[in-house]
Amino acid sequence: MLEIENLQAGYDRLQVLWDVSMHIREGEFVALIGANGAGKTTTLRAIAGLLTPQGGCVRFLGENITGYPAHRICQAGISFITEELNLFQAMSVEENLLLGAYLCRNQNLIKTNLDKVFSFFPILAERRKQLAGTLSGGERRMLALGRGLMSNPRLLVVDEPSLGLAPIIVLTVFKTLQELHAQGVTLLLVEQNVTNTLQITDRAYLLERGKITLAASSKELLENEYLKETYLGKR
Amino acid sequence: MDLAIIQDLLMTGFLRGGLYASMAVGLALVFGVMNICHFAHGEYYVLGAYCAYFAFVTLGLNPILSLLVASVLSFLAGAISEKLLFYPLRKRSKGEWIMNAFLLTAGLSVVLQNLFRVFFGMKYRGITQFWKTTFHVLGMSLPADRIIAFFIAMVAIAALWLFLKKTRIGRAIRAVSQDENGAKLVGINLDRIQTLTFALGSMLAGLGGASMLSLSPAYPYAGNKPLISSWFVVTIVGLGNVPGAIVGGFIVGIFESVSFFFLGSGWQDVASLTLLILLLLFKPTGLFGTQIKSVWE
Ligand SMILES: Nc1ncnc2c1ncn2[C@@H]1O[C@H](COP(=O)(O)OP(=O)(O)OP(=O)(O)O)[C@@H](O)[C@H]1O
Ligand SMILES: [Mg+2]
Repeated sequence: MLEIENLQAGYDRLQVLWDVSMHIREGEFVALIGANGAGKTTTLRAIAGLLTPQGGCVRFLGENITGYPAHRICQAGISFITEELNLFQAMSVEENLLLGAYLCRNQNLIKTNLDKVFSFFPILAERRKQLAGTLSGGERRMLALGRGLMSNPRLLVVDEPSLGLAPIIVLTVFKTLQELHAQGVTLLLVEQNVTNTLQITDRAYLLERGKITLAASSKELLENEYLKETYLGKR
Repeated sequence: MDLAIIQDLLMTGFLRGGLYASMAVGLALVFGVMNICHFAHGEYYVLGAYCAYFAFVTLGLNPILSLLVASVLSFLAGAISEKLLFYPLRKRSKGEWIMNAFLLTAGLSVVLQNLFRVFFGMKYRGITQFWKTTFHVLGMSLPADRIIAFFIAMVAIAALWLFLKKTRIGRAIRAVSQDENGAKLVGINLDRIQTLTFALGSMLAGLGGASMLSLSPAYPYAGNKPLISSWFVVTIVGLGNVPGAIVGGFIVGIFESVSFFFLGSGWQDVASLTLLILLLLFKPTGLFGTQIKSVWE
């Protein structure tokens, strides 16, 4: 579904990603893990079109989407939920969600999606008229996820959804992702919370200093000695 | 002091405030969405005035149609200048957008003023009135044009509000003002929203210039005064704040008419600037300044 080949990307003169190659098949739940500053967010930005790659190729559903602007990548069916969420702070929960379906012109479908999001996150239905800027951290994450789902994406890309959340809410977020996966959504997840992530994903890539250094099924990676030592914090 | 004079001052200021409000709303919108400190706004006001003049006098169209022509043409002029000037600049500038865009508008203002001079000469082109009636309000008789220009400004603002609040594209405009990346990620084409926003701002200015034609004739430099006053408005209420710009328009309109009465034309600007400096000293975010960035919530 998504194929990335030898992706090079960075900021101005600073190159961050070196020859990153990865792929995601339809219906898979894939994780991208790595230390702070490894370039995970940069990879996602390049996929979503917030950053123009300096080289390499990104294909989605057979279409070469390398260098497409973000709004066209959204149109192609990729929804990117950023670390900073990028919510419309001065708008209500409902308006944020409706904007998530900006490209959809079918009112019935929008209504269906809205109900779907509200059944996933009942709290959002309760807070419907509340301004996004006044939500709690957890509610914001849910709103961002909900907004991302409103476009019926083929691929959902999520950057550190557990960031800054209380452990119990982190659990809810992870459950939600699992549920989405069970419903057939293809997912690419970036997380610091490596153990939990590997427990719910099918496969994972390890990114170190801008290069993919490991790629295997999550099960294997949970047993991987190197990973255990450096990322899982076990001896 | 006579009560009638106070009433007259307030009325004049209020009607003038309507124009400032609609001009300032355009400025606030352009800044809120595009981060452009628009110093060529007055030239679109003048363009609207010229269009209305030629439509009304030369072509002999009726007033409503003349104003419509002026609005459509200033909308188009705004759209074209955005595509031709600001769009390429945006693609190229990295980081220094606000400064670059400001300089571009300042340059554009000079170029447009000189184009007006070349094409239309240093000649005042005015009309005595669009509508040959006078209205009686609170015992004062006022020319119909004044009242109608005021209502046109109010209707334009209300229409803009409805557009921003109730339509899909309007919501997208507000979204861009609040979070550009968020807007891109939900599939909004920023380039189109920016062009539309600039065109709408220019249309507001053009309609203002057109509807005020009998009160202030078209002239190459006629845009300076409304530009300064509307900038005064957006500076005191906080840049990029549309509802604030409406209230501010009336404050400045009334303030100007009162200070004009007491201080005369020379000192009136001094009074305005003093008020501006005091506000900036004590409330630098503007009267209605908020933390969250948005154009109209
Ligand atoms: N906007 C930017 N401009 C310049 N350099 C940046 C920018 N964003 C990130 N970088 C640099 O790129 C490198 C990779 O950053 P990136 O955000 O992709 O890391 P990450 O893996 O997501 O880290 P984290 O786990 O902390 O989120 C870092 O060295 C960072 O300093
Ligand atoms: Mg990151």
